[in-house]
Amino acid sequence: MKRLVVLLAMLVHAAGANAQWPAKPVRLICPYPGGPVDISSRVIAQQLQEALGQPVLVETKPGAGGVIAADYVAKSPGDGYTLLMGAIATHAINPALMPNLPYDPIRDFRHVALVVQVPNVLIVNSDLPAKNVGELIALAKSRPGKLDFGSGSTGSTGHLAGELFKQMTGTYMVHIPYKASAPAVLDLMSGRLHLIFDNLASSLPNIKAGKVRALAVTTAKRTNFLPQLPTLDESGLKGFNMTTWWGVMVPAKTPNEVVNRLSTEIVRALETPDIRERMLAMGSETPSVRTPEAFSAFIESEKALYAKLVKVSGAKPD
Amino acid sequence: MDMTIFSNLALGFGVALTPINLLYCLIGVLLGTLIGVLPGIGPVATIAMLLPVTFSLSPITALIMLAGIYYGAQYGGSTSAILVNLPGESSSVVTCLDGYQMARQGRAGVALATAAMGSFFAGCVATLIVAMFAPPLAEVALKFGPSEYFSLMVLGLVAAVVLAHGSVLKAVAMVLLGLLLGLVGTDVNSGVLRFAFGISELADGIGFVTVAMGLFGIAEIISNLELKDEREVFTNKVTNMWPTKEDWKRMWKPILRGTFLGSALGILPGGGALLASFGAYTLEKKVSKYGHEFGKGAIEGVAAPEAANNAGAQTSFIPLLTLGIPSNAVMALMIGAMMIQGIAPGPQVMTEKPQLFWGMIASMWVGNLMLVVLNLPMIGLWIKLLTVPYRILYPSIVVFMAIGVYSLSNNPFDVLLMMIFGLLGYIFVKLECEPAPLLLGFILGPLMEENLRRAMLLSRGDPIVFFTKPISAGFLIASIVLLIILLLPNIRKKREEAFVEG
Repeated sequence: MKRLVVLLAMLVHAAGANAQWPAKPVRLICPYPGGPVDISSRVIAQQLQEALGQPVLVETKPGAGGVIAADYVAKSPGDGYTLLMGAIATHAINPALMPNLPYDPIRDFRHVALVVQVPNVLIVNSDLPAKNVGELIALAKSRPGKLDFGSGSTGSTGHLAGELFKQMTGTYMVHIPYKASAPAVLDLMSGRLHLIFDNLASSLPNIKAGKVRALAVTTAKRTNFLPQLPTLDESGLKGFNMTTWWGVMVPAKTPNEVVNRLSTEIVRALETPDIRERMLAMGSETPSVRTPEAFSAFIESEKALYAKLVKVSGAKPD
Repeated sequence: MDMTIFSNLALGFGVALTPINLLYCLIGVLLGTLIGVLPGIGPVATIAMLLPVTFSLSPITALIMLAGIYYGAQYGGSTSAILVNLPGESSSVVTCLDGYQMARQGRAGVALATAAMGSFFAGCVATLIVAMFAPPLAEVALKFGPSEYFSLMVLGLVAAVVLAHGSVLKAVAMVLLGLLLGLVGTDVNSGVLRFAFGISELADGIGFVTVAMGLFGIAEIISNLELKDEREVFTNKVTNMWPTKEDWKRMWKPILRGTFLGSALGILPGGGALLASFGAYTLEKKVSKYGHEFGKGAIEGVAAPEAANNAGAQTSFIPLLTLGIPSNAVMALMIGAMMIQGIAPGPQVMTEKPQLFWGMIASMWVGNLMLVVLNLPMIGLWIKLLTVPYRILYPSIVVFMAIGVYSLSNNPFDVLLMMIFGLLGYIFVKLECEPAPLLLGFILGPLMEENLRRAMLLSRGDPIVFFTKPISAGFLIASIVLLIILLLPNIRKKREEAFVEG
């Protein structure tokens, strides 16, 4: 009986310890330093720090397209002190692209909250005669193998969107891979490339300045940033729906209370006008996915989509 | 150019000279100098860490501080390069070559002053260039496509062989070794991993800073430890702190040439400060009448690359401010900082936010002035650093380097890699092989391959494209001319030898 009391006391104590989370600084591991993922990680970290009353430190672990960071967090203890800013590459594309991925994007993680979701836009060189998607398809069909589309890397959303476009329209265009999307956009502006599927946030200023022409947005619904811009779905490519996204994830063993607390705080942070404005500045409207369960379901569907797309594209590095 | 430039600059200085902006400019350049002096800890990590701090500042103040960190780091990087043969920043690798030799001859003060003056002059000129020519220069950046870049790299690689003193054969071998090391990582076209041996840390290739710190820093320490009894104590023979009249006479032309070369290469989104310093050194070695002194403590070998890397750092803001295209990781962060403040970087910044655009340009000049005022009096202090006994200095340098390399990607693997390159560097010292051509091959190799393959993809496999584009053809012709110059004396010598034998 005494033993039971001690055991119960210990259990209560353990639960208490969990309730006290966080008792020490929390680390948010970011796989992509120096870009929008890094910046939004720091915005979220600052908000979490205020909400949790403990320092939340952003630590960048770049390399291998995010694999190093994701693998590191997957193998970290599930105590709520190591978080990952996981992204479309680490959790939806890499599993299809890399045969020896050291982690399982579904089973090794709890998916906490989607933070940023940015549409891609189809932009063309402003001298290209095609003024809309229909004309672009016609142009590509009249000059098979003559149009070039660039992307930030082989297997990036820009590349896969292009391959999906080719497949759905029955056109043939050549993929020109770059090391990042910025130099590709430069070559688009100067006319060396004909089209790119680029992230909305980075191309918006050039679209507005008339340096490139936007033909369509890759999401199912139109974007508030360019409400006059049609979707690919409206333009005849039924069901075309691609976004670039990233969000907070934790190791699979992390207790429910921690996951729920983090999720609540992040969703609350994203709804404060100040943060909303900052995220909008990066081209991200507040994501509609709001619970850990919905986020997991979203990742499952994205993973399935990209498994199909990677197969279509033929990109398969071994 | 018309009078608007003056009213624009006046507007800019009005913004830059407000007390709050002056304060943050000072904080930026101070921090930048500090992280520049510490080997390996670079501006990318620092700027990223400070981003949340900038959220509460006005956009212009934030950008002034971040820009200050960037060019402050270029400045500070040369200090550790000269004093302890450690490139604090990747762009100060070249400064090691002659700067450290000058320090060994007791001329550390002169070298530091030369670097400071060269950087300041270059900073002033480059600021003016940005102010006057930013929009038209942005058009130049647009003219550079894959074939132009490839041909520029060819010229650079041919020049790399000229960079070496001593055996041409060894220089070529080192360039080739650098090219091979550059192959490690993911192939851009197919996404296939090359020479990574299943190590995911190698998937993005070997880091340049890691290689440079190993080859220069660690190798230097190992080879110094070898001299048990006759350690160099070059502080005892500090001759003069300030450049003499003769020094001034020798350095002003290299500074001028370095400034213009640096400004030109800085505009190219793929080029930047790093290529600028290598290029300026090579150019100086060719045109200087003291060419034989290069690598042995020639003041020109410090003045030109220092001027070039600072000018390049300044003009690399042109593609950022006018096209919204980042030329390196620091610029990418600056774009992020602008976007989060609600400013979309791009061609419209200049017209829609003139205070921001011109304020930033004016602050660059203010920051450069602050740097020179801060650094000149510090030279005496830095020299004192050399009197620290080696048994204390060496372990602390190794620790700082380890921290710096670790902080690049928060991964212990890089520290291990740096040590391996340190051992390799020691072997090179023994074999009397220069690491500089290896580094250039290492940088240019992957860029060349990427641009060559992209150009060929775009031309659908037709190599004539390199000769039909005028800029590209110009670079290729220059490379051929350089090769002929390089080979001529040897041909002559061979002939003479043949005659003797005959």
